[in-house]
Amino acid sequence: MPEPYAPPVQRQPFEDARPHRMSRMVIMADSDAAAHFVQDIAAGDPAPWKWTNQKPTVKVVPRTNLQLRYVIDFSLPEVTFKVTGPVTLSFLVNDHVLESVRYKAPGEYHYEKAVPAEWVVPLKDTLVAAAIDKVWVSPTDGARLGFILTRIGLTQ
Amino acid sequence: MWQAFWALLGAAATVAACYAAGALLVDWARAPLKRVERFPLAFVVGASVLHLVVFAVLALKIAYRPLVVGMLLIPIAWAIWKGSWRLKGDAVEPLSLGLKSFCTAIFGIFTVLYFFHAWAPESSPDGSSYHLGLVARYLRAHGFEQVVTNMYANLSAGVEMLFLPAFAIGKHSAGALVHYAFLVALAMAMFAYGRRIGKPWTGAGGALLLYASPVVGMDGSIAYNDCGVAAIAFSVFYFLEIWDEVREPRLLIPIGLLAGYCYAAKYTAVAMTIYAFLFVAWRSRKVRQCAIVAACAAVMILPWMAKDWIYAQNPAAPFFNKIFRNPYRRVIQDQEYADFLSHYTVENKWTLPLEVTVRGEKTTGLLGPVFLLAPLAFFALRFREGRRLLLPALLLFLPFFANVGTRFLIPCLPFVSLAMAMAVASIEGTSLLAALVLLHAVASWPSMIPRYSAKYAWHLDRILWKQAIRKIPQDRYLAQNFSMYGIARLIDDNVPKGARVLAVNGVADSYTTHEVLVSFQSALNDDLADILDAGWDESRQPTRRLTFKFPVTPARRVRVVETAVGGPLEEFKVHELRYFYQGAELPRDPAWRLRAWPNPWDVQMAFDNSPATRWRSWEVAAPGMYIDTDFGKFEFVDEVTVDTSFDYANVRLQVEAMNPSGHWVKISADPKTDVILPPVDIRRWASRDLYERGIEYILMNDTDWGADDMREDLGAWGFKEIAKGYGARIYQVVKP
Repeated sequence: MPEPYAPPVQRQPFEDARPHRMSRMVIMADSDAAAHFVQDIAAGDPAPWKWTNQKPTVKVVPRTNLQLRYVIDFSLPEVTFKVTGPVTLSFLVNDHVLESVRYKAPGEYHYEKAVPAEWVVPLKDTLVAAAIDKVWVSPTDGARLGFILTRIGLTQ
Repeated sequence: MWQAFWALLGAAATVAACYAAGALLVDWARAPLKRVERFPLAFVVGASVLHLVVFAVLALKIAYRPLVVGMLLIPIAWAIWKGSWRLKGDAVEPLSLGLKSFCTAIFGIFTVLYFFHAWAPESSPDGSSYHLGLVARYLRAHGFEQVVTNMYANLSAGVEMLFLPAFAIGKHSAGALVHYAFLVALAMAMFAYGRRIGKPWTGAGGALLLYASPVVGMDGSIAYNDCGVAAIAFSVFYFLEIWDEVREPRLLIPIGLLAGYCYAAKYTAVAMTIYAFLFVAWRSRKVRQCAIVAACAAVMILPWMAKDWIYAQNPAAPFFNKIFRNPYRRVIQDQEYADFLSHYTVENKWTLPLEVTVRGEKTTGLLGPVFLLAPLAFFALRFREGRRLLLPALLLFLPFFANVGTRFLIPCLPFVSLAMAMAVASIEGTSLLAALVLLHAVASWPSMIPRYSAKYAWHLDRILWKQAIRKIPQDRYLAQNFSMYGIARLIDDNVPKGARVLAVNGVADSYTTHEVLVSFQSALNDDLADILDAGWDESRQPTRRLTFKFPVTPARRVRVVETAVGGPLEEFKVHELRYFYQGAELPRDPAWRLRAWPNPWDVQMAFDNSPATRWRSWEVAAPGMYIDTDFGKFEFVDEVTVDTSFDYANVRLQVEAMNPSGHWVKISADPKTDVILPPVDIRRWASRDLYERGIEYILMNDTDWGADDMREDLGAWGFKEIAKGYGARIYQVVKP
């Protein structure tokens, strides 16, 4: 048996305390990203970005439905944009359309918007999606390419 | 290519040294070995001696490479000088052409598969982590050192001691090749035994049933130790049979050494130590002969017990911690571990025979469908040799109930295989036995196994010859096929030398020079992981406060005592224990003296003002467990609060004070329970507590519990991501 101990150094509270911010982002480069894919995202090994089909959808389980924000980082590449012309993307949470935005030029985009709390049930599967109105169709093999996705999900 | 060469050289030198030491000993013991018995039996008995030499070198902390290599050369030179090196002994009756061709074909094809697998870069989970990880660590330290963060360091490691000189020369693959040598020796010994008893088909059939078994091939061609244990156990039996035949007293020396080596190789093989002692007692009825066996066995066993006694305060570490209480291993971990090992993920134990023979996933490995016929072995009871085989088989089978992993059947498999072969040959003759062996060989070939096994059964899948000769570079092969290797490289490339890393799951320790503290491998690691988990897991956070109020009591010592039995694996847990008088907390004075039972070592965690740390009893909560505070002088106390968590549901406590006559008197047993909220920044409390305990780096696999929580808000944790890849991330704890 060891000798009795004296009380240790007392831990003090932090002065700049802040709560943890939930973030359920599906990042294409992550090794477990594919586990969240529901539809229209190319399978295979993790990569910094992935081609999508018309309505890429991922599944996340938020711990809360308070102060959630929809976040997506994507690109409209010039090569497909030349064929499709301006496109409209609709951003969805559990099939509720958050907003539809028209993009008139190719490039990299970031979109972010608050999500109504009633659209999300905490600790339940939540579908986060983005739908493009026009896709590029390969004349050779019929492959359909929507846009390039880097990350998508919900954050606080 | 050079890696391949050194691996072969390291293994060859070690095997040769074992054989040489054994050959010297069997010649001295006047063992009447036949020529076919000499290599396998001399190799195994020599291994027992060499293991002890390696142990001594490590204990003396002189394990420098020239000495380790010299340690191999001395017995080889000595055996050559004394004439023991050559394969001598009486020849046995020649084999028929049919039997010779049959054995050569099956043995040859599986040897190609196994040999190249053993020679290829080591990518087994346990082999690359603790079997070789500890060997690498001891070599870096030039000897044993106290390892309180890895329970595997306390297991006896008689086979791994031989990996050490091989590893010093040829690294990982050399260790695996040494283990494979044990498998070859075992098969040769079984074959030779059949010829000794005049039943060559029985020996051949038994040896091939064992050798072609998928779990044996897998295990025997990586740096594990089960096939080594089987070879040692069978050698004990073999030497006993020879001694019983010739009664040469000197033979009792190798018998005793081998019997003790069973314990030194794996605790569960102690059954053969007992068997050897009882066999000699039964057959000789002489105290002196029993004493020789016991003394020689003790020479092998006691060093391991002493090492554990010195380093772990427990001669049987990492087990029996309730008897040998120590600060390094929680008693409840024994229970959790035993509970898991007794069933793995098998829910219905009646499915175990199918699982270990055909399915091979839940119990990790399969013996092969032919072993569903193992009960046939009982027909061997008709023969004296059969009865002799089945008793050790039974003894070595018993530990299987404590660990239902398929590989834990390997030590009893030589006996069962020989008895099966004996029974089948006696019932229907050699042609049925040949057909059975052929069927087994076909069913055990890698391409056939997936046709009947479970999807993720543990077995070899192809001949790795390109990997073995390093035509495919070792680094590339491992990085692409073994994520644990990639993670180990990630650690070495990003964590400063000497820094410890806390991890939830195991890593390939042998491929990193860092000490990785895996959550379940010691009490210290478990405490650290508990602090980390308190950051994200609400069930571990202080969310419940028990308040005991009572008339003002002047007391010098007060304690909180558990009065109920906890649920299964439920400990007595206290985050913070506070004393009050008239609503004001008594400031914690350095003069206070804190005690606790049954875990006295962590009591300060209930008095550090941190919601992320807690004292745990390390055992299932039971009446009489306590936390005791000696104020050093009389204090007025009228209230005590205990902060605890919801994972401690069956809480029933009372407060006691010591009266002037030194007796404990109950002063309150009816607390008010309130729900409380932990601080919003509890994650930073957790990371600060880890930092203060010397943990600055955390390894999280992306699939580990809590990994999501960390990834999504590193700032809230006080972490910085410094590396990621292979499905894992390394975080640095930012200095608070």
